[in-house]
Amino acid sequence: MKWVTWEQVGVDRMACAWLITKYIDREAEFLFVPAGQKPLPEGAEPFDIPGVRLSHHRGHCTFYTMLREYDLRDPVLQRIARVVDEADTVQDVMLEPAATGLDVICQGIRLVSPSDLVALERGRLVYDALYAQFASEPTQA
Amino acid sequence: MEKPQETPWVLLVYRIPREPTSSRAAVWRKLKRLGALLLHDAVWVLPATPWTREQFQWLAVEIGELEGEAYLWESHLLLNGQAEALVQQFQARVDATYQEILEELEQDEPDLVALSRKYQQVRAQDYFHSELGIHVRERLMSARGGYGS
Repeated sequence: MKWVTWEQVGVDRMACAWLITKYIDREAEFLFVPAGQKPLPEGAEPFDIPGVRLSHHRGHCTFYTMLREYDLRDPVLQRIARVVDEADTVQDVMLEPAATGLDVICQGIRLVSPSDLVALERGRLVYDALYAQFASEPTQA
Repeated sequence: MEKPQETPWVLLVYRIPREPTSSRAAVWRKLKRLGALLLHDAVWVLPATPWTREQFQWLAVEIGELEGEAYLWESHLLLNGQAEALVQQFQARVDATYQEILEELEQDEPDLVALSRKYQQVRAQDYFHSELGIHVRERLMSARGGYGS
């Protein structure tokens, strides 16, 4: 199916796209619209856009919302959610030192990529790597 | 950042139910963490950047979820000199924290872990790149000793 989000992807949208392709929709096709553009294209599921079902809730990032909406309970994914959350939103409690670095890396990936689509492709390696590393550590979800 | 008079600003005005107080406090703390300035007890303001726009948008959504109401604008100041004055208010606040760090570095055995954390937090709110911040960074680098100092 088709998925749509705002242009200039960053840490949360890269994480969500990785999650979608890997766990929700292997055939996912991603579309991008300028920030704030309305209406959104018909027939595409919007994510990480203010006000849609798959976006921030209660001050936490879209990745958390996706885990909840699609009932994904893998503790490694929960830990990635916490990292993305600390990277993407303003939080009082910061427990994941990787968060700040991840945010910078994802922004940089967009800068060196010719398009949002290529940035999502390249971002996959980062999240595969994060998953593999967290999976090798004692569970801390 | 551009010249002060050309700086676009994002403005947030919101109301939120008195109860639960924890929700009110959480929103307040986020605004503080963002380094937003409260004007006349009414309008929260930040210089507009892709990041501040996005953070204010999410905050407006969160306020809505807490049964509150939020308005978010982007604007320019029209009166002469007001933009400069606003930039100075932002600067004065981060400079006060930078000054605290410098004073604490003068103490015997300063807590470098805590001070570098404090530096990182204030750095994230230093939207106009205070020169004092550069000085603090240099002082922290030399305090750690060894290479790179």
